[in-house]
Amino acid sequence: MPTETGSQPTSHKYLKVRDYLVALAAEELAVGDPVPSERALTQRFGVSRMTVRHAIDALVSEGVLEKVQGRGTFVSAPRMDFEVRLSTFGEQMQRLGLSASTTVLDSGAVAAPAEVAAVLGVSPGAQVHHLRRQRRADGKPMAIEEAWIPVALAPRLFDDGPPPSLYDALRTHGQDPQWGEETLAADIATREECELLDMSENSAVLRATRRTHGDDGAVMFSRSCFRGDRYQVWVPLAPPHVPEKPSRPSPAPTTSKEDS
Amino acid sequence: MTTPEPRAALYLQALGGASNIEEIEPCTTRLRSLVHDPAQVDSAALRKLGAFGVMINGRVVQVVVGPEVDVVASEIDDLL
Repeated sequence: MPTETGSQPTSHKYLKVRDYLVALAAEELAVGDPVPSERALTQRFGVSRMTVRHAIDALVSEGVLEKVQGRGTFVSAPRMDFEVRLSTFGEQMQRLGLSASTTVLDSGAVAAPAEVAAVLGVSPGAQVHHLRRQRRADGKPMAIEEAWIPVALAPRLFDDGPPPSLYDALRTHGQDPQWGEETLAADIATREECELLDMSENSAVLRATRRTHGDDGAVMFSRSCFRGDRYQVWVPLAPPHVPEKPSRPSPAPTTSKEDS
Repeated sequence: MTTPEPRAALYLQALGGASNIEEIEPCTTRLRSLVHDPAQVDSAALRKLGAFGVMINGRVVQVVVGPEVDVVASEIDDLL
């Protein structure tokens, strides 16, 4: 049981409250349970209300706790592993057993902006299907996704309205996604993104920029932004394999290469 | 379908030839190499060979080839 000596620097006091709440959330409380009130924590640790708030706010921004306006502070669901693979939001949610829902923010054919055209290998101004959506898991906003697909690849892709799954729609139109590359970057969300993701201003997001390739080149360019407090990126690590080096000057290489 | 032999030779040539390569390895979708002189790398030629992008950062050159990069890399290895 932690006891307060009263002579410690504020940072130690704050860490004590923080560590206590982390242990509480991990071991004693379940997801959705309320944490002790600010007043209770103030009394328990003999610290100021400001110190308690500092600890709680830090854990809220780390995604351990969640503040609900007018109701209190609760234990958050664990962060989701951001899937580093060629899958879609809907597929990921299905695997996690969560129900995915979507609000279409913008949909239609547009002239490709310069950057989009360059990435997709189409001429600037070429027609591209454009779709921007807010994605939710069990009703909670998780991500905003924006995607561009050359109209020439699948002219009728949006004929029945924006498709619920772009990858499924591409498959239906004979443009199966085969591989891709994604770049992840941390950023501060714009004001609009904060509103759409139900986050307080200046919250962190994870930006994913992806180019999806089919058999004959790029089929889709997408930019997504995920709530920074709800995701973590999991990447498997293996020892690097030894890169090949030229075996000059020997003319006939007799190396012991191990092709994977 | 291009025949394997010329493709690897052309990639190698566009990377400045075997003498410019210090290390080379496939990495999922990219051909990653450490070159002696990045100025000898011909990005435009690599794009013409079908590369989807060329990133040069210091002496590290990454060529976006796609999943067939393993094949390309082992063909290049045979030429080194």
